[in-house]
Amino acid sequence: MAVFDTPEEAFGVLRPVCVQLTKTQTVENVEHLQTQLQAVSDTALQELQQYILFPLRFTLKTPGPKRERLIQSVVECLTFVLSSTCVKEQELLQELFSELSACLYSPKSQKPAAVSEELKLAVIRGLSTLMHSAYGDIILTFYEPSILPRLGFAVSLLLALAEQEKSKQIKIAALKCLQVLLLQCDCQDHPRSLDELEQQQLGDLFASFLPGVSTALTRIITGDFKQGHSIVVSSLKIFYKTVSFIMADEQLKRISKVQAKPAVEHRVAELMVHREANWVKNTGDKLTILIKKIIECVSVHPHWKVRLELVGLVEELLLRCSQSLVESAGPLLKALVGLVNDESPEVQARCNKVLRHFADQQVVVGNKAFADILSESLHSLATSLPRLMNSEDDQGKFSTLSLLFGYLKLLGPKVNFVLNSVAHLQRLSKALIQVLELDVADIKIVEERRWNSDNLNASPKTATQPWNQMQRRYFRFFTDERIFLLLRQVCQLLGYYGNLYLLVDHFMELYHESVVYRKQAAMILNELVTGAAGLEVEDLHEKHIKTSPEELREIVTSILEEYTSQENWYLVTCMEAEEMGEELMMKESSLQAITSGAHTHQVTSFLAFSKPSPTICSMNSNIWQICIQLEGIGQFAYALGKDFRLLLMSALYPVLEKAGDQTLLISQVATSTMVDISHACGYGSLQHLINQNSDYLVNGISLNLRHLALHHHTPKVLEVMLRNSDASLLPLVADVVQDVLVTLDQFYDKRAASFVSVLHALLAALAQWFPDTGDLGQLQEQSLGEEGSHLHRRPVTLGNSTTAEDIEQFLLNYLKEKDVADGNVSDIDNEEEEQSVPPEVDENDIRPDVEPPLPVQIQIATDVMERCIHLLSDKNLQIRLKILDVLDLCVVVLQSHKNQLLPLAHRAWPSLVHRLTQDTPLAVLRAFKVLRTLGGKCGDFLRSRFCKDVLPKLAGSLVTQAPISARAGPVYSHTLAFKLQLAVLQGLGPLCETLDLGEGDLNKVADACLIYLSAKQPVKLQEAARSVFLHLMKVDPDSTWLLLNELHCPVQFTPPHPSLRPVRLRSAPEQQNPYLANVRLLLRELQ
Amino acid sequence: MAAHLSPPPDPQFVLRGTQSPVHALHFCRGAQAQGCPLLFSGSQDGLVHIWSLQTRRAVAALDGHGGQCVTWLQTLPQGHQLLSQGRDLKLCLWDLAEGRNTVVDSVRLESVGFCKSAILAGGQPRWTLAVPGKASDEVQILEMPSKTSVCTLKPEADAKPGMPMCLGLWQADSSPRPLLLAGYEDGSVALWDISERKMCSHVSCHEEPVMGLDFDPEKARGVSGSAGKALAVWSLDGRQALQVHGTHELTNAGVAEVAIRPDRRVLATAGWDHRVRVFHWRTMRPLAVLASHSAAVQCVAFAATGGLLAAGSKDQRISVWSLYPP
Repeated sequence: MAVFDTPEEAFGVLRPVCVQLTKTQTVENVEHLQTQLQAVSDTALQELQQYILFPLRFTLKTPGPKRERLIQSVVECLTFVLSSTCVKEQELLQELFSELSACLYSPKSQKPAAVSEELKLAVIRGLSTLMHSAYGDIILTFYEPSILPRLGFAVSLLLALAEQEKSKQIKIAALKCLQVLLLQCDCQDHPRSLDELEQQQLGDLFASFLPGVSTALTRIITGDFKQGHSIVVSSLKIFYKTVSFIMADEQLKRISKVQAKPAVEHRVAELMVHREANWVKNTGDKLTILIKKIIECVSVHPHWKVRLELVGLVEELLLRCSQSLVESAGPLLKALVGLVNDESPEVQARCNKVLRHFADQQVVVGNKAFADILSESLHSLATSLPRLMNSEDDQGKFSTLSLLFGYLKLLGPKVNFVLNSVAHLQRLSKALIQVLELDVADIKIVEERRWNSDNLNASPKTATQPWNQMQRRYFRFFTDERIFLLLRQVCQLLGYYGNLYLLVDHFMELYHESVVYRKQAAMILNELVTGAAGLEVEDLHEKHIKTSPEELREIVTSILEEYTSQENWYLVTCMEAEEMGEELMMKESSLQAITSGAHTHQVTSFLAFSKPSPTICSMNSNIWQICIQLEGIGQFAYALGKDFRLLLMSALYPVLEKAGDQTLLISQVATSTMVDISHACGYGSLQHLINQNSDYLVNGISLNLRHLALHHHTPKVLEVMLRNSDASLLPLVADVVQDVLVTLDQFYDKRAASFVSVLHALLAALAQWFPDTGDLGQLQEQSLGEEGSHLHRRPVTLGNSTTAEDIEQFLLNYLKEKDVADGNVSDIDNEEEEQSVPPEVDENDIRPDVEPPLPVQIQIATDVMERCIHLLSDKNLQIRLKILDVLDLCVVVLQSHKNQLLPLAHRAWPSLVHRLTQDTPLAVLRAFKVLRTLGGKCGDFLRSRFCKDVLPKLAGSLVTQAPISARAGPVYSHTLAFKLQLAVLQGLGPLCETLDLGEGDLNKVADACLIYLSAKQPVKLQEAARSVFLHLMKVDPDSTWLLLNELHCPVQFTPPHPSLRPVRLRSAPEQQNPYLANVRLLLRELQ
Repeated sequence: MAAHLSPPPDPQFVLRGTQSPVHALHFCRGAQAQGCPLLFSGSQDGLVHIWSLQTRRAVAALDGHGGQCVTWLQTLPQGHQLLSQGRDLKLCLWDLAEGRNTVVDSVRLESVGFCKSAILAGGQPRWTLAVPGKASDEVQILEMPSKTSVCTLKPEADAKPGMPMCLGLWQADSSPRPLLLAGYEDGSVALWDISERKMCSHVSCHEEPVMGLDFDPEKARGVSGSAGKALAVWSLDGRQALQVHGTHELTNAGVAEVAIRPDRRVLATAGWDHRVRVFHWRTMRPLAVLASHSAAVQCVAFAATGGLLAAGSKDQRISVWSLYPP
């Protein structure tokens, strides 16, 4: 929009204005000039620069008091001119500089003149613009020694403004201006970089200001946090840029010993500084004090940008002034290292970048001084670490540990210098052990039990790193989760860079030394190994040689051996009587082993834990111990990856053992360890892991079964294995089951309980792996049953439209059936009790003389059922109950092999009857369940036995219990008696149907159940009783109908044929009939 | 068992999966065994399993005997070659180099007997093989790998020792003449000089057929086990005459195989009583009874180094023990 492109045009326009301004110096005139200037092009303006500047400078120089407003507008106008033009003469530059600086000169004091903030700002901007408008090399000639006093004045002026002004705007502007003045401006207008000589001259010049600038900036930096972060950031930037410029090693090394005589007047020469060694030393010392102050203050600054700038400071100073500021290297590194774990990701990233840069440049490792400083710092930190961990709060601990972490990271492989000192390693480890102490007062952990023996696969976990799902743990000395994370990182770094053999040995020793250290030592060992694998560690030292996989495997093997050894793996974790008994036995045997010369410290620790009554705390501690070791195994797997497969032969068995542990936490952790292992070793699932390694497990199981007294958890492993596998396991299982049964036969009295649960798991697995898919025998049975019921059901269709022929046919049918029932028909099997040849299962019977070999699962089930018969009458109720469950499963598995099932059922019967009739209600309940299953699978075989041995007792108990339950209150439904009644009522119906009972027995059942149709009975019992009758209807609808109608007859019957007499039933009157509702429901079903 | 006795030793591990009774065992010898030790097992269903002792798993199963029982296994010192003898009257030579597992050669056997073969092989490409011969009491000597018959060793007509039951070939350091030890059905052990084709010595050691023998050339002493209850130790004097040194009574009758550990310190027997018995070879003091099998133990073998002992049983398992490591 420039209207006046040529200088001539512009001159024409500007001349009157300039003249006017020269004559009368008013704000209006200045403003007028400025408006006119806006319409002049830059080139024209450049031509007329001197001309336009004249009235402005004249105004400034005119002696006498001036109004601030005028000066401000003049300065602003001046600034405008300068911003569009260049200053091409050194003299003009110097003069303008002086004139502008003078605007804020106050003759009375050192401080800037007390003028308005606007003016101050205008002047600062003017100065800044001036310095930017200097043309080319003019700027360098400006910085000649003679300018020193004026420059010094401006610098101190700006510092004072930055420090003392209230307005943030002024402060920032002053700092910016200072930056420009010290030639550290970071804007784009300074394309030319300085050559060495120029740098050196400038350095010499600026060195004079260094004390003033650095102290003033330090004051600003360390000032109130509230002053705003941008001020601190700018100050920091100017500080380190200036310091690194003046103290640059590169410049200083070229400084000659003798100061060249400067060609300036004496007064100025006095101000000049010669940067020789002594000066450098002194200045360095003073700067160190300032730097320490700055770091102390800034490293905890709440604003991340400030901390970020601090990283910049450290980088710049360490890179450029490593020799001149060698004294500050310690604090600087410490600051850097302390920020490695900063909460701000930007700071962290920057820090890491700087560290990496240092490592690349060999700043630390290649520089002996730095390495020494770091080692020294680590030494002293290690020394004070135990005390600090003891006294500091969480925040303090966090920063101390961050520092430790940073040192380790920066030192890299050189960390071994420190670790090789026994004293320091001890200090370090003591501190780690101390701070990692767990709080073991939580009772819940001891109490929580794994009741349900559900499938391990049910817990969906898809983590790829072992620690993502780590159980929350509580530490005695801190609560902040970040500290734990940091500690782990520290240990991992140690494992990565340190001598792993040395460290593992050391912590293994501590592990052995005392129970108090054991958990922590194990945690540390776990992390060391993880770190050594180098999977999580960000390596700054690329040439560092990691521990080789073979070595790592060797180390892991030895730790594993220790973890899973008898005295570290089998700790007391619960107080149950049975377990205690086992523990006691274990103790005895272990003691024997110990007397044959084991390590003494193990003996003492072991004894300490096998006191007769372990405290809750010690059990809790033991639980954690086991969990940490389990987690460790997971981490080892993670560290070794597929290499861990070779260790599975020793590691998998103990983990599975713990997966079957009763304590919830242990079993959970063991399961997640298994998940970790399967991830690490490349198995798709737990099932896959177990299947693929079942040979190792079976080996362990069968070997340990040989010493059951020592390895009483062995059955659990088999249990867990069975629960998590599939039928492909069968051949191996069959192999080991023989061992199990043989061992069981030896230990019927002592360890039946643990075996019974294995048998249960085994049979449950078999039943699941080999579901009976409509076997031939069963099909026949079913169709037979259906046919039978169909036969019986036919009369139900009898309706009102019955003809005489129908009745006749019905009678004929009836007679025929009666004949059949009496056994007068030859083609139907005589299903009597003594018949011991059950229907043949002959699907693969090719050679009739040779029996085909039994399937393995049938053989196993047969063997197990054999044992069940013995154990059915065990003294222990729990065992009896469990055995009844096993028996139930045996029957299910064997259902299609009647040749095996029936003889066994025959032998089991007396004992089962005993359970049904003589045992406690709990056992009766289970026994009844078995009876139902048995009835379902071999009905014919059971019928007469049931009717003879069991039915009378059941019916009798139902009858005797009925009045009690009829009178009982709502609490009754929680009693065992109720449950028993309910179970019997629920079970009787299906039993009657599957056993195909005769009429007399059905009547017995019906009579016993009838009373439960009364509305006085609890609702659930009524329901169950109704279900009995529903089943009875299927078996014998007619008599049921009659029976029900005798209780209550809702309709009047009209004979189907006039020749028949009307039926009259004896039923109670409707009003008080308690059976009314249920009978109506049932009769509705019957129609 | 009395409480003060230390518990019976356990096998280091048990190899499962042959799915058939184990009849022959042999530890791989030679250089290739260093990195990854292998164990070969031959089972009744004709398979030879190769087990890695590092992973404790079968790495391969060789099927070369048509489902007939494998009775004897041996590796050749010079390479990755395995010999297997089966009841199918075949002796197979397997090439196992670089995982090849193929039959490269086979020798037709003439006799169905129980007798296991024997080899004498040094570093040379030529080696000697002793196999049961055509007639029931003969032993045939072959030169391998050309399969040329060297001679047939037949006892004199009046000796009637019955069938040879087990063989052992060896060559004394001092003389180039290969010698053969043979245990016979009548319980006697005979020493044959192969080059002269004559029986040097013949001594009756057992009442029952000799089932296995092993010889310690350094001490010039051997041991044999039979179907009976005794273990016989015999020695060879300078004139190559066998002398019974003594017998050692066993608790239960029946030894399927005897093996002296390569370092000649201990001796192990495979017992029909499900047990492996370990003796001190010099003194014949019983050291241990290893009970882990649930059926007759049919073979025992020692690893060349490291002191591992393997026992194969009718119960289809192979137990591996680490006892008195050298």
